[in-house]
Amino acid sequence: MISFEPTEEQALMQGSVAAFARSVLAPAIRKHEEARGLPESVRQSAHELGIGVLGLPESVGGHGQGWVTRVLVEEELGAADAGAAFALPGPGAFGTALLELGSDAQIRAELSPFGGDDGASRFGAVAWSEATPCRERAGFTTTATREGDAYVLRGTKAFVTNAAAAERFVVFAQVEPELGWGGLAAFVVPRGADGLALGARDATLGLDVASFGALRLEGVRVSEGARLRGDDGDPSLLRGTLRLFAKQSLLSAARAVGLARTAFELAREYCDTRTAFGKPIGHFQAVAFTLADRLMDVDSSRWLVWRAAAAWDAAPSRSEGVTKQALAAERRALLATAQAVAHTLEATMRCADDCVALHGGAGFIRDLIAEKLMRDAKQLALSCSTSEQLDQLAAAIELGAPLDPALVLPTPDAQAIFT
Amino acid sequence: MIDFTLSKKQLELRDGIRQLGQFVIRPMSLEMDRKGEVPEAFQRNFMRLASSLRSNDAMEYLDEGGGAPKPARDPSRPSETNRTAAIGAEELAWADAAVMLSLPGPGLGGPPVRATGTPEQKQRFFGVFKDMENGPLRWGAYALTEPNAGSDVAGIRTSCRKEGREWVLNGRKCYITNGARAAWVVAFATVDPSLGRAGHRAFVVEQGTPGFSVGKIEEKMGLRANETAELVFEDCRVPEENLLGGEEAYRSKEGFMTAMKTFDNTRPLVAAMACGIGRAAYERARDFVKERYLLGRPIPRYAAIAEKLARVGRRLEAARSLVWRATTMADLGIPNAKEASMAKASAGQAATSACIDAISICGAHGTLSGDDALLEKWFRDIKVYDIFEGTGNIQRVVISKRILTDLRSF
Repeated sequence: MISFEPTEEQALMQGSVAAFARSVLAPAIRKHEEARGLPESVRQSAHELGIGVLGLPESVGGHGQGWVTRVLVEEELGAADAGAAFALPGPGAFGTALLELGSDAQIRAELSPFGGDDGASRFGAVAWSEATPCRERAGFTTTATREGDAYVLRGTKAFVTNAAAAERFVVFAQVEPELGWGGLAAFVVPRGADGLALGARDATLGLDVASFGALRLEGVRVSEGARLRGDDGDPSLLRGTLRLFAKQSLLSAARAVGLARTAFELAREYCDTRTAFGKPIGHFQAVAFTLADRLMDVDSSRWLVWRAAAAWDAAPSRSEGVTKQALAAERRALLATAQAVAHTLEATMRCADDCVALHGGAGFIRDLIAEKLMRDAKQLALSCSTSEQLDQLAAAIELGAPLDPALVLPTPDAQAIFT
Repeated sequence: MIDFTLSKKQLELRDGIRQLGQFVIRPMSLEMDRKGEVPEAFQRNFMRLASSLRSNDAMEYLDEGGGAPKPARDPSRPSETNRTAAIGAEELAWADAAVMLSLPGPGLGGPPVRATGTPEQKQRFFGVFKDMENGPLRWGAYALTEPNAGSDVAGIRTSCRKEGREWVLNGRKCYITNGARAAWVVAFATVDPSLGRAGHRAFVVEQGTPGFSVGKIEEKMGLRANETAELVFEDCRVPEENLLGGEEAYRSKEGFMTAMKTFDNTRPLVAAMACGIGRAAYERARDFVKERYLLGRPIPRYAAIAEKLARVGRRLEAARSLVWRATTMADLGIPNAKEASMAKASAGQAATSACIDAISICGAHGTLSGDDALLEKWFRDIKVYDIFEGTGNIQRVVISKRILTDLRSF
């Protein structure tokens, strides 16, 4: 039955995260931005609320929550400070990569530490993008060469979220470069591995409270057990990687909905109180209609994000094996996600842009957060698959075309994204 | 629980209409459009099939025992009437929107009678639809717009004055859906234009009332199988019993506002229809691309088309999400004027763009007219969805008043 009502448990969780976001994150948004990071006390509170491990299975110390719960919570974080949402402790994209590509044993071994008492300082990260253009090998210059029963990784990865803080990484590299996308492989690499070096932290347009940076792999040796094999019958990892990016994109979109909501509210309040030509500026049609359009953007984005989340919750889990039904459900969820995220990213940019515009000159000044919302909105749109990539994915599914990874996955080099 | 799946009943309704649409309605769609009518035989058959789509108010009223007290509803199982109607409306519009608008029943005249009519009036005016299965088909209509008053409803000039036990109406109404064939029409007139909305009165004017006649039947861009008429009132003498709601209803402004509130329920349905037409166009373009583009075209050209297609698809999904939201609120009894207008504004725009983009994706093929080439027809049909039942701009006025403080008018 069509319903927009969260369960009682979901509403409770959404409420407690909203309270944390409103009272802890929002008031300190400029302070955290300036510090380019969150203080330990904030990370500790977030960890106590279980935010970072909400979606991990209970068997590894998580809360076993579904995607609907997660998007509800992420919207609240995004409404307070979308940057902070990326800077909170937890496995992040690393967790999703393990769940989508790893074996049960790998999931247990790699994700269990995050739920522990010291979880407030634990981060995971995914290294996908690269700074160097590469016309072959699907754009990946990073290689993994088999040497005996180990792999040796060489190359430089870029735009890695929380690179400096992460204690473990999933690194994508080419094992058989001549196969192009078919030669793609993923490995778990611990922070302390020999030959692993951090590049400089990037200074970014927005979301700078989270840290982004590069990773250099200079002959890093990992065992066969560190390689993530993905689904049965999917040696190229296409399916699992698609799910990884789709689900992470959905979380970004949920944060974007929150940001769009805040931008709308801020603009609405301003238009209600700022007077010009003898009346509140909201009483001029050009202004009011702009607000009305942005409200449509906020609401429709939220409902599409919910719809995609519900589609993932309804799809059979990976452990149930690869069946026809599972594949069909997965395609539906991928389509719903692609539509939701592409719509939301564009809608959020419009909301943030208009928020600044409606404030006039004041919108450009750092006394208000409008300008930050606009910077963060653009950064958000590159912190997951882009709307162009997602549109290709949606079109391929709708056309019944084979999913060409060059079209439906983020390319590592051209229009690279933060992971 | 947050859920976007259809109930079994809704799936059956949707699939039933889809089948009928594909195999029966679409094959005769262009002919109906050319001849300007929906055949009566089809309407009779269809009425039996899709009872849940019969234009609702009279049927519900009659089904409920004609005003007998309703049994209390189990609060844990709220009604899904509005959601189900939106799903049915989208599907039928996907087949042919003009069929939906031409369905026998009170049409847009239903909501004001249901909302403001006295018990006697409901009995009388809904009663005429009682025996359509065996007797003649009947329609109701809603007449508000005038040649010089469209969005500015307060500007209507059709006048009414009381003479003895009758009201005398003078003026013209235009763009009235099913206006010429209607057994009765809810017509708005004013006792004194200077009073604005407070001067408005609504009458149920029956066919055959002295001084009431049909003017021009409009030639339209689209929805040509559906009748759009001009109505003329020349010293039209309406019995006082036909003043909707009786004199009492007009002591305050409330009476009129209630009649306007009925749009909150119909706007999402109109929006759902727009989604249906938009989806038809989208699917046509998608299938066209599937057949023609996939075989070895250079990727850059294909990618641009694929992206355009995906944008059309997601904009329609976004609009549909607003329709579902507005109808869910209606089912739960939550005031939804803002959400209804958001659905209407968004769907009208998304579906119009969908039809425009679908034609451009198909190129010259998209403009051809034929029994299996209806895209040009949908393109003609859709534009009015951003116009009737409140233009896109009027929806934004409704929304604006609900998000800004103390905004009464612009």
